[in-house]
Amino acid sequence: MNLSNLYGAAPLSHKTKNKPVNFRLPPCLEEQAKAAAAMAKLILLCLKCIILYSTVEAVFEDQVGKFDWRQQYVGKVRFSHFDTHLQSSKKVLLATENNVFAALNSRTGELLWRHVDKTGPEGNIDALLQHGQDAVLVVGNGRLLRSWETNVGGLNWEVVLDSGSFQSACLVGQQDTVKHVAVLKKSVISLHYLSNGHQKWIENLPESETVDYQGVYSGGNGEVYALGVVPHSHIAVVGYSLEDGEIIKQISAEAPWLSNIQASCVMISQGMLTCVDSATVSLYMLDLHVQSQMTQIPLQSLGFEVAPGFQPVLVSTQPNPARQPLSEFFLQLGPEHYLLLQLNNGQIVTLRDLKPAMLVSFATTGEKTVAAVMSPKNKTASTVNLYSAESGRRLLDTTLIFTMDPNGGKPEKLYVQAFLKKDDSVGYRVMVQTEDQTLTFIQQPGRVMWTREEALSDVVTMEMVDLPLTGTQAELEGEFGKKADGLMSMVLKRLSSQLILLQAWIAHLWKLFYDARKPRSQVKNDVTIENLSRDEFNLQKMMVMVTASGKLFGIDSKTGSILWRHYLDNVPSNAAFKLMVQRTTAHFPHPPQCTLLIKDKDTGLATLHVFNPIFGKKSHVTPPALPHPILQSLMLPLMDQDYAKVLLLVDDQYKVSAFPSTKNVLQQLQELASSIFFYLVDSSQGRLSGYRLRTDLSTELIWEVVIPTEVQTIISVKGKRPNEHVHSQGRVMGDRSVLYKYLNPNLLAVVTESTDLHQERSFVGILLIDGVTGRIIHEAVQRKARGPVHVVHSENWVVYEYWSTKSRRNEFSVIELYEGMELYNSTVFSSLDRPHAPQVLQQSYIFPSSISTLEATLTEKGITSRHLLIGLPSGGILSLPKMFLDPRRPEIVSEQSREENLIPYAPELLIRTEWFINYNQTVSRVRGIYTAPSGLESTCLVVAYGLDIYQTRVYPSKQFDVLKDDYDYMLISSVLFALFFATMISKRLAEVKLLNRAWR
Amino acid sequence: MLRIERIQLLWVFIQAALVAAWCFTDMETGPGAGVSTQSNGDRFKIEGRAIVPGIKTQDWVSTARILVEGEEYVGFVRTDGSFAVNDVPSGSYVVEVVTPNYRFEPVRVDITSKGKMRARLVNYIKTSEVIRQPYPLQIRANGPHSYFMKRETWGWTDFLMNPMVMMMVLPLLIIVLLPKVVNTNDPEMRKEMEQSMNMLNPNPELPDVSELMTKLFSGSKGSSKAGGSSKGTRPAAKRR
Repeated sequence: MNLSNLYGAAPLSHKTKNKPVNFRLPPCLEEQAKAAAAMAKLILLCLKCIILYSTVEAVFEDQVGKFDWRQQYVGKVRFSHFDTHLQSSKKVLLATENNVFAALNSRTGELLWRHVDKTGPEGNIDALLQHGQDAVLVVGNGRLLRSWETNVGGLNWEVVLDSGSFQSACLVGQQDTVKHVAVLKKSVISLHYLSNGHQKWIENLPESETVDYQGVYSGGNGEVYALGVVPHSHIAVVGYSLEDGEIIKQISAEAPWLSNIQASCVMISQGMLTCVDSATVSLYMLDLHVQSQMTQIPLQSLGFEVAPGFQPVLVSTQPNPARQPLSEFFLQLGPEHYLLLQLNNGQIVTLRDLKPAMLVSFATTGEKTVAAVMSPKNKTASTVNLYSAESGRRLLDTTLIFTMDPNGGKPEKLYVQAFLKKDDSVGYRVMVQTEDQTLTFIQQPGRVMWTREEALSDVVTMEMVDLPLTGTQAELEGEFGKKADGLMSMVLKRLSSQLILLQAWIAHLWKLFYDARKPRSQVKNDVTIENLSRDEFNLQKMMVMVTASGKLFGIDSKTGSILWRHYLDNVPSNAAFKLMVQRTTAHFPHPPQCTLLIKDKDTGLATLHVFNPIFGKKSHVTPPALPHPILQSLMLPLMDQDYAKVLLLVDDQYKVSAFPSTKNVLQQLQELASSIFFYLVDSSQGRLSGYRLRTDLSTELIWEVVIPTEVQTIISVKGKRPNEHVHSQGRVMGDRSVLYKYLNPNLLAVVTESTDLHQERSFVGILLIDGVTGRIIHEAVQRKARGPVHVVHSENWVVYEYWSTKSRRNEFSVIELYEGMELYNSTVFSSLDRPHAPQVLQQSYIFPSSISTLEATLTEKGITSRHLLIGLPSGGILSLPKMFLDPRRPEIVSEQSREENLIPYAPELLIRTEWFINYNQTVSRVRGIYTAPSGLESTCLVVAYGLDIYQTRVYPSKQFDVLKDDYDYMLISSVLFALFFATMISKRLAEVKLLNRAWR
Repeated sequence: MLRIERIQLLWVFIQAALVAAWCFTDMETGPGAGVSTQSNGDRFKIEGRAIVPGIKTQDWVSTARILVEGEEYVGFVRTDGSFAVNDVPSGSYVVEVVTPNYRFEPVRVDITSKGKMRARLVNYIKTSEVIRQPYPLQIRANGPHSYFMKRETWGWTDFLMNPMVMMMVLPLLIIVLLPKVVNTNDPEMRKEMEQSMNMLNPNPELPDVSELMTKLFSGSKGSSKAGGSSKGTRPAAKRR
């Protein structure tokens, strides 16, 4: 009995030593030495390869969009601006936490253009300022200042700023024109021209060691203020002249209660710094023009009360950077309580008390500024109303209803696009951002113009689930599934099911006929959950996607439409996810079942979410509570009486719990315990350990491999995919003998990287370990190499890619394992009984690009040849035939190798754009590629996800089992008819002739 | 087997040593290999211009990116087609202009620790070979990407030029046309032809052709023509 993905025994304790194994790496080195000779050979090889290349499959132009689709995302929005400088503009600018800056068409929600910067803090967008057609971005903690032309989407200029951590930036205007941008850093303030980015002046901030400068402000009067605070002591404000950067004034005011300006202070009206403090429950005001003390206004004196434990927040607006901010502002007193206030001659006037109000936002069009307020209506909807900012009056006919998705999150941010209608009244549209990163753009009175599920920009893991059968199909299946109960009833049943089929067929024909009469635009096969059903070849599946934000999606793989979504709101921010299909749709009437393991990376505590992958609904099955941190989870091929596969969870006490844990399951587990093995990886201690299950569901350690962490660290451990099939057990050689593959389902590929990163001494190691016995099958070291290492482990081969520090290039290496000319035990593979070590072949190649991710195609029966799918940083997904990565590629062509169809060795693998399965539909920052078999052996379904999602089909050996989609029905039928008529005519002619001869 | 492997291993060793020595002598042409940032924190700027001949810059700049050594450093293209990648430490990098629609050749840029720049052709096999390129970079697109394979289109010429069809059609023509050109009623001519046929086909086991010929010449033109054509086209149709 061999359970895929689990393993068998032998108390072994290995210590890996770094033996300097110098296997045959680059014959490319030889190539270097004998370059001239090699060139000639290379040309020859290339010529030979061309013949092979031409047989490799590619996309045809007329297939564009036929079975593939792409969705582009930008990520969680951090800053958003509506392009307001033109009344008719349809643009909304978004800067996101994924370091993406993009423009959307506000009518359709489609991307106009998008710029994807580096990931990590170096591409982080710190600020977005918009002025006219230009958008100014501060990037990489104040390292770069960029200006984008928003119409074209091109860069205007980019300048490098001095080092220092970024604090704040603002546009600086004078006399109604904005020409500068001010950037405040920890210790300097600099002013740049908007036209070309050149620096006008840069000044050191006084006493920057003690004063924490946090804000910069300009009221349009030729002065720029840097606002700083000495926490719990005083406020320090420095005023600079716009012209030459001279310090005009320095203000210092006592403020022992203040620690963070950005969180608690805003500028309102004519240079009035207004702060709110929760401890003293007061507003504090400081007039920057009239040097004075801060005036304290207790909130109680205004008659306001702060919700207990709530930190009050101020919101103000400065519609035009060349003018002073408005004197109206919001004060938030509780989670759902806002006040619209106005500063009038030094007096604070309440314009409106808004309770309940969830979100507020200011918007300006022309000279009018309005305040949009979102307030809850009922459980599923909330309303947005407009108020005049000046008076606090509610504007008539401005109610807008936002219907909240019960499976979504709460609204988080409100972006308002205000515009003047023809009658000079204010109209508006809102973009609501919810907790689950959804953007919804709504028009009055509540029409959703578009929604974008930005959570999909961060897909963590996914599975493809077969769609359920239709009612009629299920009926037929049911007939075969049930036990026979008499001849007569069987016949009747058969007849009735045939009748049902006939009925369905007629209905289908009728629908076809009916649709054909309608104009084409109206015929739209809207896919909904109700009419989902499996197609003939099982090409259409349900894609279940898990995103980092904790939102789950069910997407139809044919059209890409989102069929269900479910937001899990209690997911920790650093969660790791593992999605498992416990029951497929094959077990009607039991519903399919998926289980998502959500694990907090810090504590190790995990929760299970069990749901139906077709409808997204939470299952009635209650998952077990998991009080202990979980180390490992594994799916067994065992099933309980309801056909749900058994999930084993190993906790930190090395105790195993099963889900579902019915009596039936426990009994099965007890029977099979001796053949259930699993392994644990502890990369921090460099330990790989194998365990065996005992009948009482405890475990025993049976082997351990320690990789000294001082020398190298474990980067990844890859087993084989459990649903992988290998059709042929061996390869037929040129001399008609068979070279048998070493097909060990328990084999693990362990990749290590050296801790020493010096380019001369760094190395990448790969260990092939049997997961049952802990036996090291093979060990290889790639010297002068470093990561990132990408690995694919399948059949009898391991392909990995690394960076060669010596030659500064990416290299692929392939290891293939063979049993030899004879198979030891051809009926069953057991790790415990395999006396002969496999033959190992290895070859390396140069790859002329770095790669983002690597995956292999997968088909139902494994007959189709394999391709490697390589995600490139350029966004292309390359489909590289595995036969190019074959360690048996000969350097010298012989008769035998030609017989075997081996391509002669060439050091460099080529990237041909015809091999890009996604043509110009690039996938940005591709993070993973998911492959799934379809019902057709020739076809493999591919989903590439990163910032974008791209779904397509690939045919690694062309479509050998179906007619090609360009099959010429016309030709074959016309030839048939022509032949038919030709025989008719010739027959007639022959008859006439015979008759004539007879008469003669 | 093992011994052979060992010998090969030795051979690789020797060659590796040779190559290593060769690389060392070549070292001064390039700045310190690798991207390790042991430099004193100096950051440099890679500048250049990307050109797509015949296309306005605003039509393609919004989709273009400059990738330096994969995605290690990223730059964007200005509205006039020029670009600069800031904050790059000294080292040797492959600079690529990436657009979904146009193909640009990558260039290797070497930056010394003092900030001297040099651009050269990318050669992954002979990594130290220097074929100079202009710096600041001038990268010209060499046409649109060819992502698609051409469909095999069906044309009459393809069909007719098919060797199988040729093989069938040509004899047919000969069979039909020859009797018209040559006067078959002339007994001398007939004799001559028969003779030549026998010369060509001395094997007595294959008399079919001559038999067919004689049959043909003896008059029944119509029926054989029809039969021939139907026989001729059927296999062709089957193959499609």
